[in-house]
Amino acid sequence: MSMIQTLYDAILNGNAKAAKEITQTSLAAGGNPQSLVDDTMIPAMNEVGRRYEANEYFVPELLIAARAMKASLELIRPLLTARGAEPVGRVVIGTVQGDLHDIGKNLVGAMLEGAGFEVIDLGVDVSPEKFIAAAKDRNARLVALSALLTTTMHSMKAVLEKLREAGIRDNVKVMIGGAPVTQKYADEIGADGYSSNANAAVALARKLMAA
Amino acid sequence: MTPKERWLATFAGEKPDRIPTDYWATDEVTARLFAELGCRNIEELYTRLHIDGLIVVDPPRRDEHRAGDPGADLWGLRRRLIGYGAGEYDEFVNHPLAELTTVEELEAYPWPSADDHDYDAFCDMLRAVPAHRMVRSGNFEPFLIYAGLRGLEQALVDLVENQEFVEAALARMFRYYFALAERTFEAGKGRIGVTYIAEDLGGQTSLLMSRAQIRKFLLPNQKTMADLARSHGIHIFYHTDGAVRTVIPDLLDVTGIELLNPIQWRCPGMEREGLVRDFGKRLIFHGAMDNQQTMPFGTPADVRAEVIANIEIFRGARWVCAPCHNLQPVTPTANILALYDTIHAQGAL
Repeated sequence: MSMIQTLYDAILNGNAKAAKEITQTSLAAGGNPQSLVDDTMIPAMNEVGRRYEANEYFVPELLIAARAMKASLELIRPLLTARGAEPVGRVVIGTVQGDLHDIGKNLVGAMLEGAGFEVIDLGVDVSPEKFIAAAKDRNARLVALSALLTTTMHSMKAVLEKLREAGIRDNVKVMIGGAPVTQKYADEIGADGYSSNANAAVALARKLMAA
Repeated sequence: MTPKERWLATFAGEKPDRIPTDYWATDEVTARLFAELGCRNIEELYTRLHIDGLIVVDPPRRDEHRAGDPGADLWGLRRRLIGYGAGEYDEFVNHPLAELTTVEELEAYPWPSADDHDYDAFCDMLRAVPAHRMVRSGNFEPFLIYAGLRGLEQALVDLVENQEFVEAALARMFRYYFALAERTFEAGKGRIGVTYIAEDLGGQTSLLMSRAQIRKFLLPNQKTMADLARSHGIHIFYHTDGAVRTVIPDLLDVTGIELLNPIQWRCPGMEREGLVRDFGKRLIFHGAMDNQQTMPFGTPADVRAEVIANIEIFRGARWVCAPCHNLQPVTPTANILALYDTIHAQGAL
């Protein structure tokens, strides 16, 4: 079995220890870090997402796959940065003001990272001002907002208003998600996209980047 | 019929005089309804809105907090009120089991005991419940607590990676819950109508964990708790949020549930017609008034239409009309009144 195949399997099976060891061995042997990402990590996380959507994987399997992917990526990322490699896109992500529920946001962040995006995670209970400052400072093309509660989802609207006030609404695409959030709500507040799950969020982010 | 008779008839598979109703809301919503409707207490509110609501009574802790740690609850969990503008929510802010790795460390943790509760005070509380009301006692939702103790993500990861640890923790928690339930049911003999067994198994679009994980880690203890309740003639109220269609057969066959709450019918697989078709003979449907769109953001006309649609869809099955989970402060009073006024006007059977 090739090295590539085993890293693929390590991610798919959520084996962080193996993923890290295989990545170390591969890089020490002169493996190309960019091709590890493009040819192994991204296909592995695509397969994880497919299994999740097909109800073969559930949140526990998604979490351990993401952790294995991150263990590998931590070793690869400094090498990519040193080469001046650009990520697929930069995403600022967080749960909106008043909302501490972050598992959905974390899964979306991990799947985006696994798809080659640079994810700037602002954490939970993030004010509109913080989203705007991070999008500006980090030159992010995407802003991803998460909310679990009907009482907090309206903070999403405030973020969009602040982006307009700051004059950078046209520079970024805004995607939203979370239990009570719908496409209808995205349309109402003028967000660029809505996704109902972490796998679909990756497809949406790719689409928005290409738009 | 009295509210209690309505509940008992529904559980017995008989036809009550009208569709029973229940009430779930945050404290802010209840306080607002009290003020706007001139009600002084929950009995007045239930009478005013014709709500058959269950009255939740549990043996209080002798000391609300654990010894030497006034900031923590019985589990060692600390909560903090997080404001979101229109109100506040109590959220866990520590995870006391997060750093533990062995079953020995788990055993050494200061777990709560059934002795910590005051059963005399519980009996006094039961006596204060009006005779026409149905009492709900006992509350078994251990994975929710485990997720608080470990942190939600670690708790879910444990189902794959630390199976011995999570099993030991759930077994230890079960010992407390079972002893508490035995003493609760004994103390409340003849007064308790329903017990609450729950676990949030579903997310918005699918199960959070696999059926195999649910069967292995959660259902056996649920069945034992349900059997205990049944042996006391107490009915099972089962709560799980989300898209849980695929696990309902297990809940019926293993846990032995009688009533399922909250029926989030906008979630995939939770379409009401299909649930009635497949499970309507065995299951009481509780909830089904959508609390993510209709109740908070719909108009009173939307709420009325949903009540009427539910009456039609659940005709021939058993339905308790209630919001899907706690009404939130973003829900207009007019929508809440539309719910209870419509079911009162249209809900005769």
